[in-house]
Amino acid sequence: MEVSFSKEIESLRLGAGETFHGEGILAITKALLQSGVAYVGGYQGAPVSHLLDVMVQAKPYMDELGVHVEACSNEASAAAMLGASIHYPLRGAVTWKSIVGTNVASDALSNLSSPGVTGGALIVVGEDYGEGASVIQERTQAYALKSSMCLIDPRPDLGVMVKMVEHGFRLSEASNMPAILELRIRACHVRGSFEASDNVKPAVSTRAWMENPAGFDYMKLAHPPVTFRHEKLKGEERIPAARKYIADNNLNELLPGKHADLGIIIQGGLYNSAIRSLQQLGLANAFGDSDIPLLVLNVTYPLVPEQIADFCAGKRAVIVVEEGQPEYIEQEIATLLRRRDIQTPLHGKDLLPPAGEYSVEVMSQGLSLFASAYLPGAATESAKRWLEGNRTRRSEVAAVLDKPLPARPPSFCIGCPERPVFSALKMTQAEIGAVHIAGDIGCHAFGTFEPFSMGHSILGYGMSLASRAGVSPMMQRRTLAIMGDGGFWHNGLLTGVQSALFNGDDAVLLIFKNGYSSATGTQELISTPGPHEAMSSERMKSQTHTNTTIEATLQGLGVQWLRTVHTYKVAKMRDTLKEAFTSDFNGLKVIVAEGECQLERQRRIKPWIAKLLKTGKRVVRVKYGVDEDVCNGDHACIRLSGCPTLTIKDNPDPLKVDPVAVVIDGCVGCGLCGENAHAATLCPSFYRAEVIQNPKWHERLVAGLRGSFVKMLQPA
Amino acid sequence: MTDARPTSLLICALGGEGGGVLTEWLIETARHAGYAAQSTSIPGVAQRTGATTYYIEVFPVPVAQLGGRKPVFSLNPVPGALDAIVSSELLETTRQIGNGMSAPDRTAVITSSGRTLTTQERMQLGDGRADSAELLAVVRRFSREHHVFDMGAVAKEAGTIVSAVMLGAVAGSGLFPFSRTDYEAVVRGDGGRMAQASLRGFARAYDIVSQPRIQAAFVGDLLSNEEHVAPIQRGLEADIAAMFPPQVHAMLALGHARMLDYQGPAYARLYLERLQQVLAAERAADPAGAQGFATTTEIARWLALWMAFDDIVRVADLKSRATRWQRVSGEVKAGEDDLLQVYDHFKPGAPEFAALLPVGLANKVLAWDRARVLAGKTPWALPLKIGTHSVFGMLALRSLASLKWLRVRGSRYANEQAMIGKWLAGVVQGTRRDWQLGHEIALCGRLIKGYGATNERGKDNLLHVLDHLALGADAQAAAQAVAAARSAALADDAGRALDATLLAHGAPARPVKEQPIRFVRKPKTLAS
Repeated sequence: MEVSFSKEIESLRLGAGETFHGEGILAITKALLQSGVAYVGGYQGAPVSHLLDVMVQAKPYMDELGVHVEACSNEASAAAMLGASIHYPLRGAVTWKSIVGTNVASDALSNLSSPGVTGGALIVVGEDYGEGASVIQERTQAYALKSSMCLIDPRPDLGVMVKMVEHGFRLSEASNMPAILELRIRACHVRGSFEASDNVKPAVSTRAWMENPAGFDYMKLAHPPVTFRHEKLKGEERIPAARKYIADNNLNELLPGKHADLGIIIQGGLYNSAIRSLQQLGLANAFGDSDIPLLVLNVTYPLVPEQIADFCAGKRAVIVVEEGQPEYIEQEIATLLRRRDIQTPLHGKDLLPPAGEYSVEVMSQGLSLFASAYLPGAATESAKRWLEGNRTRRSEVAAVLDKPLPARPPSFCIGCPERPVFSALKMTQAEIGAVHIAGDIGCHAFGTFEPFSMGHSILGYGMSLASRAGVSPMMQRRTLAIMGDGGFWHNGLLTGVQSALFNGDDAVLLIFKNGYSSATGTQELISTPGPHEAMSSERMKSQTHTNTTIEATLQGLGVQWLRTVHTYKVAKMRDTLKEAFTSDFNGLKVIVAEGECQLERQRRIKPWIAKLLKTGKRVVRVKYGVDEDVCNGDHACIRLSGCPTLTIKDNPDPLKVDPVAVVIDGCVGCGLCGENAHAATLCPSFYRAEVIQNPKWHERLVAGLRGSFVKMLQPA
Repeated sequence: MTDARPTSLLICALGGEGGGVLTEWLIETARHAGYAAQSTSIPGVAQRTGATTYYIEVFPVPVAQLGGRKPVFSLNPVPGALDAIVSSELLETTRQIGNGMSAPDRTAVITSSGRTLTTQERMQLGDGRADSAELLAVVRRFSREHHVFDMGAVAKEAGTIVSAVMLGAVAGSGLFPFSRTDYEAVVRGDGGRMAQASLRGFARAYDIVSQPRIQAAFVGDLLSNEEHVAPIQRGLEADIAAMFPPQVHAMLALGHARMLDYQGPAYARLYLERLQQVLAAERAADPAGAQGFATTTEIARWLALWMAFDDIVRVADLKSRATRWQRVSGEVKAGEDDLLQVYDHFKPGAPEFAALLPVGLANKVLAWDRARVLAGKTPWALPLKIGTHSVFGMLALRSLASLKWLRVRGSRYANEQAMIGKWLAGVVQGTRRDWQLGHEIALCGRLIKGYGATNERGKDNLLHVLDHLALGADAQAAAQAVAAARSAALADDAGRALDATLLAHGAPARPVKEQPIRFVRKPKTLAS
């Protein structure tokens, strides 16, 4: 059971005359349906997860429309799905987080772009760049350039974004090029509205099948010798066709301004920030009317050379505002102007920083330099004072504070089943010495933060085992690779396990089997536990043991040393890790660390418990606590856990000065505190409290009798 | 109209606090009231308890008066150009102010006084918490106006989550041109119990922010808490009080009472005798009492804590008291009709049992355990989960608690007393040489705490400091070295900072502890 999107699904049904209100990524989803998309695929990951999540949950409606939706096992399989549009007049859309997803998909994308497409192919990527990003900072633009795919970077206004999806399909069809539509994080989550139109049922669909396959056509294969012809076609036919479509339909917006001798060329996605910067500089009003003419590139590849040349010619200066590096657009414009011998001075990365998100402040710094060079005036000066004020204030605050503020990175959820493994790993290393730990993408990457600070490298999703292949032969001690079940199915099974087995590597792999691809939003996997109608005590437990696809797969592949350990058995986990690191077995050793994602478990049991309480049924609630007079204030327990509900408070003992540990509300009673106290021989201050709500009558009787005895024994 | 600019609000929240719901409410309210608005966020993986922000802009002229024109909103909060910041956590508020977000001539800051401590603050060996008063000072200095109250407490009181309280605070501040009924209509939605709780939280926060007097009381409370001194136990007998200067009395009363509770009158007398030695030395070093007998006061504290060292007997005693049962019932919020069962986790090992045995016997037990470890086994320990609510569990704990008579005959007692003697001698000796040196050594009592390995580590560190730093030829330099080593010892439990400090002051690093070596067979490679 995942997050419910019932409200979002309702808004997908809106028709002409109705207004859609919601987030950008949902608007894109709606736009796909308005464009008559026939098939949708993808791999989830913020900030575009919702596109696929919503569609997967909206299956009944998709069936009604005849749209096929597939949650692909990785981005490569999503990209390969677009192969349907090579021969057939099918509009297809796939989605993933970029740059990482595009990297994984790039093989299929190259092979798709070479023969080109017949039906419109749209790739919606979440450009995970700037504040809030969770991946390496690179640009998707590079892929558009190298494979000759159109790149749409729409102005972050819901109406424009929707229109660009619809144009995106037609542009793709007009040019035979696949088109990428990139959305930055904030654009995915922007809340706005647009006037909806009716959804279009695709002509060919799961409800209206094609009778026969297309005829054999060698030109549609990415195989020599036609690949040589494809390359020529890109330059001779496809890109010119795309340019024509872009120009004819005014996809790029030319916004005039009174200083006609100056100009700003900007990526569509940066439009709002640019307008706010110009407002700060006194060069635009609240409705976006700018004093300096703007050329807003809603399509950043291919550029339309005539459009650029016309915009630049005769101006005193033009600045290109292009986020990220390298500055592909600026370079292309420079070449283009040079070849046409247009002498307009060109600015860009000379005034703007080469790296990092172009927030309003960053952009204002560059634009203020541009303005003060070409439009000196009072407004520019006041903007400079504002920027200077920010700098001064930052250093003033830093001076007031005694030391820099501690960071607050995301961490394992309360009751996360992955935390205990890091506790065990910390204990193991304390005994046998430090080991090289190859990290991976997923929730378990939070183990790189305090209090664990573990992991030597992260080479990509599912890559941990592969990334230690060069380390372990050089290292006296065995190495550890950590992988989530999400990463295992995405990539790790083949790049890691298969390779290690084939090469007879001596390595230790730990797989977190929590049942879901959790960090991307707890989507289901092939190893997700099935529906559970079990009895009460069974339902409270982790359900991951009910699906053993991972274990069966590993055995089938020939893994000889395989242990499945429940993560909350900290001492057993520590001993198993120790055994793996010291065993005489020299092949691949795999530990499946099993424990259901706590988010999912809570989603599963919370409504059920609420129902039990409502009907007066017996419920046992578990909470852990710390005896404040026994706690020694050393906080070793926190250094072994980091659980958000295990925190500290002032010491109630006036003799003692150091704060004591305390378990605050929100504890889900996972049991790690007790397990750690036992496994690491911590102080005896932890207790486990079981609160029995609606107890049975005989329980009350026994408790009453027992209570009176116990009271007699207790001193005050 | 063209001069109007959007009203901007930055929301700072932690994952799971309902920041997404809050922004949705605000956008809906704007729509309900007939204004153009836009929100953005960067949730990413921050839902996993990390810090995150949401950003909202509202155009303060009704859509109906815009003549079809659409304002262009920013997707980024603009530092120094925000109208308000609302935040559910004080350190996060300060972080955003530190990022330059708040302009003292423009920005209203509405923040919770509550703290959710970061892992970095929680995991320190001593007290790693940021100073709330310092954080609050930043809020005051860098805001046009500020509203501070404990949002978490208000949410709890209303039975809702903090997002509803934040909404009430925004509404109460009058930031946006919406009426209270606009907000409430949106929160009410289609009714339901959740909505009622949200409305309660909303109303309470609305009142607090719109009525400065209620809020001033909140802030007053917060500030007085900062300087709040825990209630001191009175009732120091006159003859004991007469033995010490009045500055020492408060701590002495606490320490003396602890000795009586821990062991008995004879032990309390030993405490007083020891304290007298230190007092005599301090009087000699500082006859006028210019330092306010600070060393004796500190020794009154640390000596009491050390002498009341935690052992099985003490823990069993603390865990089996009636007051403890009541405290646990309150902490876990057990209702009137609920049954409560409490299990205590213990894992006594050989040292814990040896502690209660005479030295000779204790050494045999410890030697046996060490032999086990050398043979590659884990140290012996007895993991116990004792049901304190059960008759058997309570009987077991009370039996252990009654072993005070055995404690003074045990090896641990002898060992602790010897160590205490050594430390006090160091304090007395140091004080005679230089008041400051004695004081610094006295403060090293802080290193002694806890159980098992933690306690051992503390004692080893203290011994090392006494042997290698306290005896330095230049008393003032020695005092500085001891102070530096003390704070370094609390920096990390591996003792890396301490070793570095020791070396920097010309002392040897702590000796390496012996540990069994494990050999792992590797497949044949060129290296073998």
